[in-house]
Amino acid sequence: VDSLNHLLGGLASALSYGNLLYALAGCMLGTLIGLLPGLGPAAGTAILIPLTFSLDPTGAIIMLSAIYYGAMYGGTITSVLINVPGEAASVVTCIDGYQMARQGRAGSALAIAAIGSFVGGTFATIVLVVIAVPLATLAIKFGPAEFFALMVAGLCLVVGLAGRNMLAALLMTVIGLLLAMIGIDPVRGAPRFTFGFEELFDGIGFVPVVMGLFGVGELLLAAEARQARMIDADLKKWNPTPREWRLSSGAIARGSVFGFVLGLIPGVGSIVPTFMAYVVEKRLSKTPERFGNGAIEGVASAETANNAYANAAMVPLLALGIPSSPTIAVLMGAFIINGIQPGPFLFTEQPKLVWTVIASFFVGNALLLILNLPLVGLWAKLLKIPFAYMCAGVLIFCIIGAYGLKQSVFDVWIMLGFGVVGYALRKLDFPLAPAILALILGPMMEKSLRTTLEISGGSFAIFLDRPVALALLAVPVLVLGTLILRPRAFARLRESDAE
Amino acid sequence: MPPSLRRGWLIATAAMLVLCLFALWQSSLLAMTDRLGPGPGFIPFWLAILGAGFALALLFDTFRTPASTGSDDDSLIPKGDGARRVASVLIALVLVTLTLELLGFQIALFLFSAGLVIALGERRWLVILLFAAGGSFGVYYLFTRWLDVLLPAGRLFG
Repeated sequence: VDSLNHLLGGLASALSYGNLLYALAGCMLGTLIGLLPGLGPAAGTAILIPLTFSLDPTGAIIMLSAIYYGAMYGGTITSVLINVPGEAASVVTCIDGYQMARQGRAGSALAIAAIGSFVGGTFATIVLVVIAVPLATLAIKFGPAEFFALMVAGLCLVVGLAGRNMLAALLMTVIGLLLAMIGIDPVRGAPRFTFGFEELFDGIGFVPVVMGLFGVGELLLAAEARQARMIDADLKKWNPTPREWRLSSGAIARGSVFGFVLGLIPGVGSIVPTFMAYVVEKRLSKTPERFGNGAIEGVASAETANNAYANAAMVPLLALGIPSSPTIAVLMGAFIINGIQPGPFLFTEQPKLVWTVIASFFVGNALLLILNLPLVGLWAKLLKIPFAYMCAGVLIFCIIGAYGLKQSVFDVWIMLGFGVVGYALRKLDFPLAPAILALILGPMMEKSLRTTLEISGGSFAIFLDRPVALALLAVPVLVLGTLILRPRAFARLRESDAE
Repeated sequence: MPPSLRRGWLIATAAMLVLCLFALWQSSLLAMTDRLGPGPGFIPFWLAILGAGFALALLFDTFRTPASTGSDDDSLIPKGDGARRVASVLIALVLVTLTLELLGFQIALFLFSAGLVIALGERRWLVILLFAAGGSFGVYYLFTRWLDVLLPAGRLFG
């Protein structure tokens, strides 16, 4: 009842003229950035951070959250019309969505995707409202030892789910943590790895690194690749037929549950729930042979699971302060830039802000549905923008984002350097997500660990006296230990990943 | 694993090993402990050791993985038009970063926008001019006047 009252208050605030405008602008910009092939939601959200510099923290977070799920939907349009996933989660949508477009059913595919996204996102947000406060209340009882263990568990799950690249993921995690050590030591105030550069005293900028790795890196890959051709679809007819509605309804319901449950687990990534939801629909179908040839349930399940996942991933961020994916890490960075520390205390210290943001998820999901059904033709036209303009336009935003935060050209160089590194590592298929999550969690992990060790006088035995911390540390040890000590399980993981 | 990919993994992992060893040396110069507990060098030191260990294990694992015998199209290194486009983007970014504070956002970004779209194959001069003006003067106006983001005005023009 208390959550409901807070939510109603948040809804009133989210529906205020200003916040509604930020959500609307975020949805439109997110969809636009999601449309650009090669630029995923992480890069899209990071690139658009400068737009929120002058906004109040609530407005900034509302807009960036709307950009996030707008970008998730934007990826669907490119998947259906040009068979190029705008982001990883849309890979599954390509399978049947593009076939539907080839059969002249692009409108139905995009409409069902929008409706499924709305249902999945709304379902996940309702469950978020129900479980976020109890989870945060539990987490408030955590001391630094438990928080450290929780962050280690989150990072290890990301690593454990990296499949065949687990060793590389471990290495990337350590590299991310080492990068997070740059700057003034948070406990003693001593400079570390700064090499006389004053610009590094505040640490290496999260925004330039993300813009480099995801924005510039992805653009360099897109610049190298050939551009795909768009299907000349008739998007005036977007209303699905009664049969398509019937086929999609079950897929939407099941996709919502899959997306939500898997969205709670750090490191799962958006592709896992979409793929699982798709496979389940195919197994349940009486006509599985239609899958891959334009089955609308394939589009409905994947898109619903994708958006339910996107909204569910907000639960660990808001209640525990743990980002579960690179895009959520970017959002967490935006929270911190705006002076807000996500985590359990958010619900007690800034209830108005957090409930307005949660309420804005409902508003944003509804706006996306209202915008995307009638405007799908307009979005499709934007896909015809020549690559040269798209590339230059996105880079202008990257430069502003890297420079604008601290008015430092040094940060633009950082972005450029990480752009080249991101380009190379993506070509090699090195996992970047663990490095980004480690970079954002690194300072908090260090502070928690050192405070814990100060309490214990330098003894690690303190973790043995804290059952919750011990249990949390046991989870990653078990996951990683099983994969390392049972080569057969690891080999199966390699095979499944390769498939 | 194709030979080019295997080579790439070896180079990238070796570079990360060097980075970890460098961090190990640098953190060993910092205090490991003090009277309150762990010092500023404690965590980076152990992280660097862990990273070096993972890098060595990955190098060993990649060495052990045989290169596939099929044709290797060396697709990791961009070629032809793809290479030209990647080089154009990188050169444009280096130049704009070098000149951003000297020329100011408006001039530097005008030259960047126009230069990059031309390098990427655009030839409609009026569209290029309009795009470059919007992407530099227009964006500068939007961000400095409306969004309160400070952008460099340029040393050359005061």
